[in-house]
Amino acid sequence: MVALPESRVRGSRPARGPVRRPRRPSAREAGTALLFVLPFLLLFALFRFGPAIAGVFLGFTDYTIGGDTSWTGLENFRRLVDDPTFWTALRVTVVFTALSVPLSMLASLGMALLTRRAFRGAKLFRSIFFLPVVTSLVLAGVVFTWVFADGGPWSRAMGALGLPAGNWLADSALVVPALVLVSVWSRFGYGMLILLARMQDIPAELEEAALTDGASAWQRFRYVTLPQLRPALFFVAIIETTVSFQVFDMIYVMTGGGPVRSSYSLVYLLYDQGFKYFDLGYASAVGVALFVMTIVVALIQRLTLGRDK
Amino acid sequence: MTDTITPPATAATAPPARSRRPYRVGRGGRGWLVGRGALLLIGAAVTLFPFYAMVVLSFKPTGPVTFPDSLLPWPFSTEAYDQVIGAKSMLRWMWNTLVYAVVSVVGVLLFASMAGYAFAKKRFPGKETMFWSFLAMLMVPYHVTMIPTFIIISELNGVDTYWGMIVPTLANAQAVFLMRQFIASLPDSLFEAARLDGCSEWRVYVSIVLPLIKPILATLGVFVFLWHWNDFLWPLIVGQSIDMRTLTTGIASLQQENVPLNMLLAGSVVAFVPIFMAYLIGQRYFQEGVSTTGIKG
Amino acid sequence: MRVRKSLSAVAVALVAALAATGCGGSDSGGSGKTTVTMWTYPVIVDEAQHRAYWDETVKAFQAANPDITVKVEIFPWANRDQALATAIAGNKGPDVVYLIPDQLPKYARNIEPVDKYLDDASKSDYHENVMQSVTIDGKMMGAPILTSAATPICNKKVFADVGETTYPTSWNDLLTLAPKFKAKGYDVTAYAGDSKQTLNQTFYPLLWQAGGDVFAADGKSVVFNSEAGRKALNFVKQLVDGGYVDKGLITNVPSIEQTRVGQGKVGCVWYVPVAEVEKLWGKENIQAVPHFTETKQIGYGTVGSLAMLKGSKEKEAAGKWIAFATNAENTKKYDLASNFFSPRKSTGALWTDDPVLSVQEKQVSASTVGPLHEKARDVQGVLFPEIQAALLGKKSVEQALDDAAKAADPLLG
Repeated sequence: MVALPESRVRGSRPARGPVRRPRRPSAREAGTALLFVLPFLLLFALFRFGPAIAGVFLGFTDYTIGGDTSWTGLENFRRLVDDPTFWTALRVTVVFTALSVPLSMLASLGMALLTRRAFRGAKLFRSIFFLPVVTSLVLAGVVFTWVFADGGPWSRAMGALGLPAGNWLADSALVVPALVLVSVWSRFGYGMLILLARMQDIPAELEEAALTDGASAWQRFRYVTLPQLRPALFFVAIIETTVSFQVFDMIYVMTGGGPVRSSYSLVYLLYDQGFKYFDLGYASAVGVALFVMTIVVALIQRLTLGRDK
Repeated sequence: MTDTITPPATAATAPPARSRRPYRVGRGGRGWLVGRGALLLIGAAVTLFPFYAMVVLSFKPTGPVTFPDSLLPWPFSTEAYDQVIGAKSMLRWMWNTLVYAVVSVVGVLLFASMAGYAFAKKRFPGKETMFWSFLAMLMVPYHVTMIPTFIIISELNGVDTYWGMIVPTLANAQAVFLMRQFIASLPDSLFEAARLDGCSEWRVYVSIVLPLIKPILATLGVFVFLWHWNDFLWPLIVGQSIDMRTLTTGIASLQQENVPLNMLLAGSVVAFVPIFMAYLIGQRYFQEGVSTTGIKG
Repeated sequence: MRVRKSLSAVAVALVAALAATGCGGSDSGGSGKTTVTMWTYPVIVDEAQHRAYWDETVKAFQAANPDITVKVEIFPWANRDQALATAIAGNKGPDVVYLIPDQLPKYARNIEPVDKYLDDASKSDYHENVMQSVTIDGKMMGAPILTSAATPICNKKVFADVGETTYPTSWNDLLTLAPKFKAKGYDVTAYAGDSKQTLNQTFYPLLWQAGGDVFAADGKSVVFNSEAGRKALNFVKQLVDGGYVDKGLITNVPSIEQTRVGQGKVGCVWYVPVAEVEKLWGKENIQAVPHFTETKQIGYGTVGSLAMLKGSKEKEAAGKWIAFATNAENTKKYDLASNFFSPRKSTGALWTDDPVLSVQEKQVSASTVGPLHEKARDVQGVLFPEIQAALLGKKSVEQALDDAAKAADPLLG
């Protein structure tokens, strides 16, 4: 299978090394590969997969700490559908995600493009941009509460720009945008690293070919870089959507779900039901609903944004 | 290594394929550089501003902070730190946090790079399913899995132990994803050559993969370290006795229900900033980019 | 429990393949001796002092009971329900734990009643309302060790500045003072309406003062949307609409030194403990006043108690420890050290010399901890957003309370 120049530009993987026919992995190759995956796989099975299954299972029971647990089937889910707080939380979470994922990806892409080339300080900038990702969201929440406070940096800046000043976190309409900003700040570094890794993979001569063909920077980006990035972008989109759907810690610290539930996310509902009211069966049902929702959206993203790898 | 396909127009002048030398593509060199510099500085400023605020506000006396004066380092006071630093068990907490963070880092880097290598460069049955299941499990909120995970640890007698704290955090899927992405960008020919030379898979992993991903190992290592250093809820749940407290939970055990802003931030600064500074200063010693290894193409 | 059994099966199967890393942590107790673990929280502000108190008390107990070892772990206030609930779920909870009444109904299923571990003399020594606050279904769920009365506290400096010499005793007083305070740039009071406040401290005192209650006598429905409830909410709304309180506190409450309350711009508050404003206002500036009177004179007060978990494997020993730690002598010492009041009649007044605490101490009998209903928290969860909505002008007071009642009733099943 010979790769033609056009097929490269369209975004398929360029052949590297001698042309190879796809073959089934030998038993030995598969065996060693599995050995490499095994430690992580075992840990994952025991500490992520197992508890997740258990958690999903709990959604079908009336589990509370120390009480008798019995199977309740779809009862929790019926209650969920009738619960107006659930629909509010769903709306808040969806709006929040719809705003934060594109913005965060834009920031990731932008910063990746800016720090892509090797220049003095590139690594430093990349490290700086990744810093919020490893910062506890509780800590970020505390600081940003101060940032958004009345008379604080944000409200002063907004006032100067003629935009609504005052505490955005206290305004039902502006609270979600404010939280989106915090979320983007906190997440864009992760997507940036993933995109950077993928960018390093783009063969230099593709861009140089386009350059000699007279393409502008924008055209090079649009027709060479972007298609090459598509799998990574898709991946980042899924991760960011997953994380955004689960927004909680910063909301807990900054707004308590208010004002009047306008920042009440699904995981907040989960937390309240599970650890405030101790209705863990119902809380797990919320978790299941959230899980299903994320899978569905991921599948949609797969269909629209393209293949993985 | 050479690509057997080269664009016809540049056949004569094509640079060595897939080199990583820093080249400037495009015109407008100066203007572009300045523009990029400006954007990067703005981005860095926006990113770092909350950290700056955190440190400055922690060194204020307890009281109302009014902007913009509050951004200036005066009035300066260490009263928030007195409570934190003076704690009797501080050293013990620091030691616990160190163990938790360091062992976790080693574990995560080891297992994630091994798995990342397998996912990036090898084929095996169930690969797709496994990968997607890793991704899918990220979609279950941690509150749902917290109690089952604790029950598992408790059944294994891991409550109040180091390993009970460490082991569940080793299943870090996001680390695997990062590793996979970076290892995927390593040229296949390196592996072909090694295999032709008769290297065992483990040798390939140790002598080829690991050295080449040193930068990402270093980066990810520091960040996994920071994440563990900062972790609150899981150490709180697993480390039940005061001897097993980490810095975060230990400091919290000194605090009242409603903590003044400066004290809240002081606790976090102690737990976070020194490592951050050490990293920023030391990061320039980490290798730049993916180095070529001198294998002739 | 089914879940735990299947998980153990998985765990046992996989544990063989797991390489156990690292060292273990603390080893569990020695041979022959019984160990009782107690979890408590920073009730005494100074950690060193707190540790010292428990070390002393444990030593005294162990001297009298040589075959029992007691371990007191001081946990952070933060996330304590999560930590405790998870520990109980994993069967790794403590034997004894410090709980407040808000937690008792939720943990009721997991608590062993302590009636039989306390002697009758003790039991009859507690104030009537204190006993009520730890009793569920006729059984004592905790042994009271401290109590408080959250009466309104006023800032003398602010009053002096405004030129007022009498302190408010009723809602009318507050409303009369309100414009005068506003004219001088102060708020007469404050209402904190965000999710972290418990309504027991903010709204319910007003509800009770108006003669209303949260739950019906049989606990099967809510009655906060009664005449009294509307009166109470209308009172707060009057304060908000008149600009007499900080509107920001309705939705977001930062740490106190960042609020107008902390900055000394507020006249009186009823939801703030003395300890929190001591340093900010200056102790000499605090004037405690009795609970406000509307139809009734009543307010909120908490009761801290030591409860025994059902999962405890050393109930006898734990019972002895609880009885010791909450006996008259130790209770008195603890209350003096922590600036709280005694739940026992026999102790008498502890703080007659303290101008602030003596006023509050006298109000203990007029204080209540709020409803000990199993769904008390859940009801608060649906009520406080409606209160926010009413105060922010998004709904009428009647509509808000009725909507909250509509949301609450199905929870009571």
